[in-house]
Amino acid sequence: MSDVIVIGAGPAGLAGAIASASNGLSVTVLDEFIKPGGRLLGQLHQEPSGEWWNGMKESERLFLEANNLSVDIRCGVSVYNLEKDENLWNVHTNIGTLTARYVLVATGAAEYPVPVPGWTLPGVMSIGAAQVMTNVHRVQVGKKGIIIGANILSFAILNELQLAGINVDRIILPEKNSISGKAGEPEEVLKTLLHAAHLAPSPLMRFGSHFMKNNWLRKMAIHFYPKSGMKVNGTPLQLRIAAVEIVGKEQVEGVKVANTDAAGQVIPGTEVLYEADFVCIAGGLYPLAELAAVAGCPFEYIPELGGHVPCHSETMETPLGGLFVAGNITGIESGKISMAQGTIAGIAIANHAGKVSSTIDQQLQQAVQQVRSVREQATIQFNPEIDKGRSKMKEIWETKFAPLDKEYSHKKIV
Amino acid sequence: MINMENMVICRCEEVTYGELLSTAKEHKCTARELKLRTRAGMGFCGGRTCRVSVDKIIENTVPNASAGDILLKYQPPVRPVTFGSVGENQ
Repeated sequence: MSDVIVIGAGPAGLAGAIASASNGLSVTVLDEFIKPGGRLLGQLHQEPSGEWWNGMKESERLFLEANNLSVDIRCGVSVYNLEKDENLWNVHTNIGTLTARYVLVATGAAEYPVPVPGWTLPGVMSIGAAQVMTNVHRVQVGKKGIIIGANILSFAILNELQLAGINVDRIILPEKNSISGKAGEPEEVLKTLLHAAHLAPSPLMRFGSHFMKNNWLRKMAIHFYPKSGMKVNGTPLQLRIAAVEIVGKEQVEGVKVANTDAAGQVIPGTEVLYEADFVCIAGGLYPLAELAAVAGCPFEYIPELGGHVPCHSETMETPLGGLFVAGNITGIESGKISMAQGTIAGIAIANHAGKVSSTIDQQLQQAVQQVRSVREQATIQFNPEIDKGRSKMKEIWETKFAPLDKEYSHKKIV
Repeated sequence: MINMENMVICRCEEVTYGELLSTAKEHKCTARELKLRTRAGMGFCGGRTCRVSVDKIIENTVPNASAGDILLKYQPPVRPVTFGSVGENQ
């Protein structure tokens, strides 16, 4: 039996395993995929500094470091339930039930689709699936594709598809309905893209971001937005074109689109067909928290963090004794943040386990500071109001849960 | 032709957008009730694919129906598993 079971071998899980193991705990890491790394495996982009972020290399580095610390990493293992029995957590998996005093749930995020008529045809995939096929499995997703949904995620992956030589014909919006909501409203989409403008690698997002903060000018910009789109690294972004239907007999043959007004309402009679042999739907990401939920962890709905997130402190503990969380399960952010959060969780677990070295408080303080500084330097923010979301959770923790914890005053990080 | 009305939202249980929207409008219900009335989210994938869509339909058609809580609750097993692996003889 290990001291710690980490669920998820992505950036948060591996960093957590490394931090716990470095402080003398025995650690087992479980992951559903065939190799460790999680979503790091698909990431490849250039930072504004000119440096390249190669997720595949990062995951190799983490894997080797964990290996050197004798962390037991088991891939191809699915966890289907998590429950506490007296002092031990039972982690139910397809290879049997494992037990440990401490569990770190680092299950990351899942994508949500924006359904478009015809989205069940073969050849339609989520944007993240296109990323995994391209950068992890090295399979060409198709010859000519259309991305439905304009957001930070679709822009980042567009760039990766282009690097792999895959032809993305255009980015358009989903038709506005009760599910797509703001993702189908040109002005709202422009607003969120402009929020990221000062951070964004693409010239389009930097374009005029300053004066476009003004509401009236933004309305004008949408009103006069060219039908043919503006180019993002050579691919037209068409904010005033909506996907009405994905068409094809046996598989995707194209997307029927229509012009929209500034609010996203389809203008009748403007339908045309764009040919394509694959379609990527970019909805967005939400924290994948199902295991924390079945374990009985309290949740809070915080839109800035991406939806429902398990309640947690700044040192990544949940109200359930021995249960910790890190990474995108706590809110949608970059892999670098996930790693830094994993490190906090790993040290916090060692602290709880009584592996008290003279430096552990200092380590914990530094790890918390590290998350804050990585966040300040982030080039891409999935939600521009991430800080607000994090503060909300901190406040909830401090009012609802911290008073119940007698040791809290000693552990408070300032 | 596939239109918005007959577009499938819950792929496991083949529940359409039209069905979900009209049920939401008729009963002005919570996401949980919408799930129970239509079976959306009760299939093989455990709602992973349509959970957000079902939540959003309620959010946009029945204001204030969903607040802080997770209305579509999670239940083990959160992954498809065989009877053998959850039974006595594991």
